Amino acid sequence: MRIWECLHSGARSSSIVQSLASAALLSWTLDARGIVLLLLVALVYMRGWARMRRLLRDTRDFNRLYAFLAGLAVLFIATESPLDTFDSLFLSAHMAQHLLLMMVAPPLILRGDPVLPILRGLPRRFVKEGLGPFLTWMPLRRTGRFLTSPVFAWCTFAFSTLFWHFPKFYELALHSTTWHGVQHASFFWTGILFWWPIIQPGPGKPKWPSWIAVPYLLFADILNTALSAFFVFSGHLLYPTYEAVRASSLSAQDDQALAGLIMWVPGSLIYLVPAFVLAMRIFSSPAITAAPVRTARARRTGGPSLRLILPRLRRAAQVVMLLIAIAVMADGFYGPQVAALNLAGILPWIHWRALSILALLVVGNLFCMACPFMFVRDLGRKFLPARFRWPRPLRTKWMAAALIVLYLWAYEALELWNSPWLTAWIIAGYFLAALLIDGAFRGATFCKYVCPIGQFHFVSSLISPREVAVKRPEVCKSCGTYDCIRGNEHARGCELYLFQPKKAGNLDCTFCLDCVKACPHDNVSLVSILPAKALIADPYRSSIGKLSKRTDIVVLALLIVFGAFVNAAGMISPVVGWEHSTPANVALFVIMGAVVCPALLVLLSAVFNKLSGAGLNVRDFTRRSALALVPIGVAMWAAHLLFHLATSAAAAIPAIQRAATGAITAMAMPAAPGWLEPAQILLLDAGLLLTLYVSWRIASQYAGRIRATAALVAPWAALSFGLYAVGIWILFQPMQMRGMLH
Amino acid sequence: MLLAGTLLADGGTLQFHKQAGPFDITLFSAPTPLRAGVADLSVMVQKTPDSASVQDASVNLHLKKSEPGNIVEVIAPATHAKATNKLLYAAHVHLPSAGTWNIDVEVSAAGKTATASGQLAVLPPQAPATAYWGYFALVPFVILLFIFNRWLKRRRRMLYPRPGK
Repeated sequence: MRIWECLHSGARSSSIVQSLASAALLSWTLDARGIVLLLLVALVYMRGWARMRRLLRDTRDFNRLYAFLAGLAVLFIATESPLDTFDSLFLSAHMAQHLLLMMVAPPLILRGDPVLPILRGLPRRFVKEGLGPFLTWMPLRRTGRFLTSPVFAWCTFAFSTLFWHFPKFYELALHSTTWHGVQHASFFWTGILFWWPIIQPGPGKPKWPSWIAVPYLLFADILNTALSAFFVFSGHLLYPTYEAVRASSLSAQDDQALAGLIMWVPGSLIYLVPAFVLAMRIFSSPAITAAPVRTARARRTGGPSLRLILPRLRRAAQVVMLLIAIAVMADGFYGPQVAALNLAGILPWIHWRALSILALLVVGNLFCMACPFMFVRDLGRKFLPARFRWPRPLRTKWMAAALIVLYLWAYEALELWNSPWLTAWIIAGYFLAALLIDGAFRGATFCKYVCPIGQFHFVSSLISPREVAVKRPEVCKSCGTYDCIRGNEHARGCELYLFQPKKAGNLDCTFCLDCVKACPHDNVSLVSILPAKALIADPYRSSIGKLSKRTDIVVLALLIVFGAFVNAAGMISPVVGWEHSTPANVALFVIMGAVVCPALLVLLSAVFNKLSGAGLNVRDFTRRSALALVPIGVAMWAAHLLFHLATSAAAAIPAIQRAATGAITAMAMPAAPGWLEPAQILLLDAGLLLTLYVSWRIASQYAGRIRATAALVAPWAALSFGLYAVGIWILFQPMQMRGMLH
Repeated sequence: MLLAGTLLADGGTLQFHKQAGPFDITLFSAPTPLRAGVADLSVMVQKTPDSASVQDASVNLHLKKSEPGNIVEVIAPATHAKATNKLLYAAHVHLPSAGTWNIDVEVSAAGKTATASGQLAVLPPQAPATAYWGYFALVPFVILLFIFNRWLKRRRRMLYPRPGK
């Protein structure tokens, strides 16, 4: 009764209730890491669910989907809502949170039959090659059966509940973020184990008879009731932390009793209702239950053809990018020459660079798809003849490689990032070069042989998860018109001379989608691929040949890889001062870091490979292994550019305000979010692991045995780890805040 | 210098709970333990008689530390906007060095002003390798899993050879 009296007296003081209520509604934790993880799990599940449904439909399908998503929603509420924010002030809020974690989220998630949909939702090759050996390993399967057996699951759940409610351990969790996380993980996962023998999700038939659930749940309720009663009727405060500060007139003792009631009443209902329902089913006369209706194998129905959607999307994106480029140029030429207040000082160097590389990692070469330079080039083609062919000696990547070295030097030596006027001239120069070169020479010569931005994106997109490729190779075998490369009356063919059946990877592909439009069989589309798949195999590639024979492409890739570290290092405290002490130092730094060092290191690795006596073609192997460094290089670019985007994204606001209205009402202050450093480390981790994996796969094609493979990989692995260590060191140095007033 | 945009554990460790004038002032700090660098300081302001939360106060934090030949000061307003728990007023401050910092929490509301004082023990910053050891450990962990994966595959090939091989 005391609790209700206190609540009523609190309710009479409406200002207390109002301030608590409004504070509660607005106090969401909203941790980015937790939300991203939940969204990822939901996406993987839904993808697998959709795939399974295409094969075989079941009337229970949507119930499972809703149950699983509801379980994730409950997890979100438990960990991100005001329940989490107020858990250190109110034991009752904390108890409600634990109830959701242990007794609401797990049964909902298990009702979604998550195992098969999640396996189906993951990349097939990863499941087969990566997870398959573990899932078929008998000791692990036996362990899984043991963990989900009723006795073990019940005991673990009970132990976890009692352990964490001991005052000593509960207080430990209240005072330590790490232990608090361990406590919550323990509640959730023991909850999954506890509910497993009751719900018995697939795959496979139920292992335990359903009657077991009745005593199982009843005994659990007895434990719950005993613990709850202790909370309610105990005369003393179990957790002194809640007495130190009270946020309302509810006393700590009454709060504890309320927590006990929450554990007791809703908690008991969650145990007793299923027990009752199951008991009724067991003791009632057996009913003939209809089997779930299974329809015939569902035909794959697609939406509107991508052939129609993608090209239109591309045009729209090009128009938008063109308008942005014009605005940036205009502001760069005529606006104030303060980088932090000028569109040309902010948008290209902070936003565009970071967003284009992040898009590469997620989708593919979106920038080239939306390239404004090509839009202007296409308009100019109506007047310019494009009569000539690009000279044969120049049909390599050497010119582009030289331009990249020039860019790395100019970025620091001329402080391009700090000069809106120079930036505007570079953009204007790009438009002119694209127009003139492609106006004089046939095909997409500018993209294929000149544009350094394009080459950067081509190389980086070797690890993209999507590629423009044929959907069904057998269709191409019967095609005699080769529209994808020749074109037809509806669309021109690929201007980069990429013949789709022989195309492998994203190298030289600008995502222009001409092949998609031209293919009369609708057989070309954006398909999902394993990242870095293009680096593992070495087939003959249309218009490129074999990568193991292309020294120019390897040099280009190495410049981009080592250029990532040079570019990032050029902005950190130990290097900046030295670099700008004399004009020659920038050139020295770039040449040493992006040209000499990689040449020496690659040569050294090749010498080690030669000495290993494997009898392989060292040149070919060296070229391929050098390309395997692309993932860690791209990871470094992504980590570095993410830093600038995350800390200075808001810098666009004053620049746009000034450009649009002439006045600035808000200035952006640099701020690094807490998730930035972990995200950067994770990017480098992923890049290193992918590089090591690709190196291993390449080496195992040349060496039959594991020891020989390891000997071949060793120098490249050492180089990769060296780059990783340098990258980590660079990221943790104080980095110049470019594009911000500070 | 960079400021952390978001720190978890809003609230955090209770530093002190004092009565100052008509107010009860409670100071929390995060992370735990406090280290030189970015810190999240949160203040709860309540009316003394009934513990009603004061939501419209003006709260300022004034930190001071004596160093040889120098006094370092950090002043920051604490607001609801910076707090995850909207009952609290929070400020993200940069503590440039370790040691014992004196802190004054000045609260003004309804024409009344009060100050509660205390001390914060700030430890030196953690090395990145220690602070993010879990993220670094991911690489050797995945490599070990890969090695184990290969061993399992090889074992399976030996136990169940494919016909003709």
